[in-house]
Amino acid sequence: MLQNELFNNVIRDFNAGYWELHNDPDKEIWSKKFYESLGYKLKELNPTIDHFLGSLIHKEDVDIFRDNFLNYKRNNVNFKQHIKIQTKTGNYKLFRCATNDELPVDIKSQINLIFFFEIKLEPEQNIAKDNFYYKETAQMTETGSWYVDFHKRKSYWDFETKRILEYPDDYVPSLKDSANYYAEDSQQKAADCFFNCAMAGTPFNTEIKMITSNKRVFWVRAIGKPVYNDNKEIIGIRGVFQDIDDIKKKELSLQKSIDIIASQNSRLFNFAHIVSHNLRSHTSNLSLLVQLIEDIKDPKEKIDLIKEIKHISYSLNTTIEHLNEIVAIHTNKDQEKKIIKFQDALNLVTNGIGQMIAIGKTKIESDFKDLKEINYIPAYLESILLNLITNAIKYKHPDRDAIIKIRAYKEEGKEYLMVTDNGRGIDMNLFKDKIFGMYKTFHYNKDAVGIGLFITKNQVESLDGKIRVESEVDKGTTFIIEF
Amino acid sequence: MDHKIGLACIIDDDSMYVNLVKRIVEAKNLCKNLMVFKNGKDALNYFEAILTNLDKKSIPEIIFLDLNMPIMDGWEFLENFTNIKNKLGKIITLYIVSSSINPVDIERAKNINSVKDYLIKPVTIEDLEAIFLKQIL
Repeated sequence: MLQNELFNNVIRDFNAGYWELHNDPDKEIWSKKFYESLGYKLKELNPTIDHFLGSLIHKEDVDIFRDNFLNYKRNNVNFKQHIKIQTKTGNYKLFRCATNDELPVDIKSQINLIFFFEIKLEPEQNIAKDNFYYKETAQMTETGSWYVDFHKRKSYWDFETKRILEYPDDYVPSLKDSANYYAEDSQQKAADCFFNCAMAGTPFNTEIKMITSNKRVFWVRAIGKPVYNDNKEIIGIRGVFQDIDDIKKKELSLQKSIDIIASQNSRLFNFAHIVSHNLRSHTSNLSLLVQLIEDIKDPKEKIDLIKEIKHISYSLNTTIEHLNEIVAIHTNKDQEKKIIKFQDALNLVTNGIGQMIAIGKTKIESDFKDLKEINYIPAYLESILLNLITNAIKYKHPDRDAIIKIRAYKEEGKEYLMVTDNGRGIDMNLFKDKIFGMYKTFHYNKDAVGIGLFITKNQVESLDGKIRVESEVDKGTTFIIEF
Repeated sequence: MDHKIGLACIIDDDSMYVNLVKRIVEAKNLCKNLMVFKNGKDALNYFEAILTNLDKKSIPEIIFLDLNMPIMDGWEFLENFTNIKNKLGKIITLYIVSSSINPVDIERAKNINSVKDYLIKPVTIEDLEAIFLKQIL
């Protein structure tokens, strides 16, 4: 032991245990205070570096400490380090290690020493103060903390978590039924987050819908991360819930507006493109014709060519009519919706094209028992039925009479209309993207104009519905409209 | 003109346009024969048939191809045509003639080797004359 009294006083003031390093590596001297701070009596332990590294110091700190220790011993390189050391009772205590250069200058020791200053929890006062700030922060940001303890199989919520979930202060959260704290459509997501965090240690930071004790569904930002024990095993998950309902609702409504604007914009762009393209083909013909008329000398031929203007004018008119029809869809979409019986609409349509149906020996089988009526613009429903039925008749299979099956039904709260034919079908590989385009025809039929399905799609979409098609060549085609 | 082109080909579904070009070709005596297909599929069928029975006289020296057509559009025709064109054993100059002024279409056409140029409708009589003349020189 050191004999210098001054030095001993300093050590006492330091309130620290220490080592004296000696040349014999197995014969370090550990101070009484060092034994005591770990809960042992003097010389109860074997004061060797091997024992220290092997049994006392926390695994995480071993490598760095060993390097520091040897460097200090051999080369006199001072160091400072935080380490955790296991006490007799099995708990770990945190120490700050320091070496000779921590000593006051005037008492430089000849011997290499390592001091262990125990780091204690902060005084009670500070905790109370921090607690105040913590509560303030939690309330102001509506952020509650929680902890899930896997060993005790318990959840802990702080006051703010209970407040945002509308539970009383003395509520004890249930771990077993924890899925019930999430809205039905968020339960799987919550389960995935917690499972991945518990099994793989993956932290999460996500937006999720929770449900309060009063059954109010609201948006929460949930952040969680794994808690490890000293053996690096995950023993729990700690995290926060922040009430972001207001922000999230604004975000969602903003997103909805953006979607509507984007789809309107895309339709407008599409329409502009259609107008430009369809008018151009006529105007360019007109311009070519005028050139020709000017260029040709023979008066008789000139008059022949002038007659061609009539054809162009006729085509131009037809195109304009088609374009008007499309514009009308978008201006008419605010027309009053009415409850219409599918059967009534179908009767109206089949009466109108009775001759066409009869000539083709078409059989129409309707089934509206699952969904008898719908709130829709009557003219649109009739136009949709008319287009799909006339299409099915026009493109019937040459070897068989047309059978058209029409069914309305409800699925997951949404209303559907399905029109299936046994016609010649459309090659989906070739025409998938073009079926609903304007002036797109897929068959060699003379009367194929390529406007019907384009209008149908526009009508359906103008009322926020969707239309899709399934088809197989030689088997038939099915159109499914989601209203 | 003695060195006039033997056979030219139009692939276009706009019968009015085809009719007018036909008249110009006749009036200006630009080529001996003009063949017309209403869509890419018809034209492709023709070229595929020629492959099995190679007759150089039936292969056009010049093709005017529209883009927007039913059944098989100009792009799809080009894809297929590029695959067989070398087997035809004759240089064929192909022009796209479309009313599309979409820069995406024009750029796309420029990147296809077999396309000589992209003409925007309306074409002029002078354009057509120049193209046929270039072909002979």
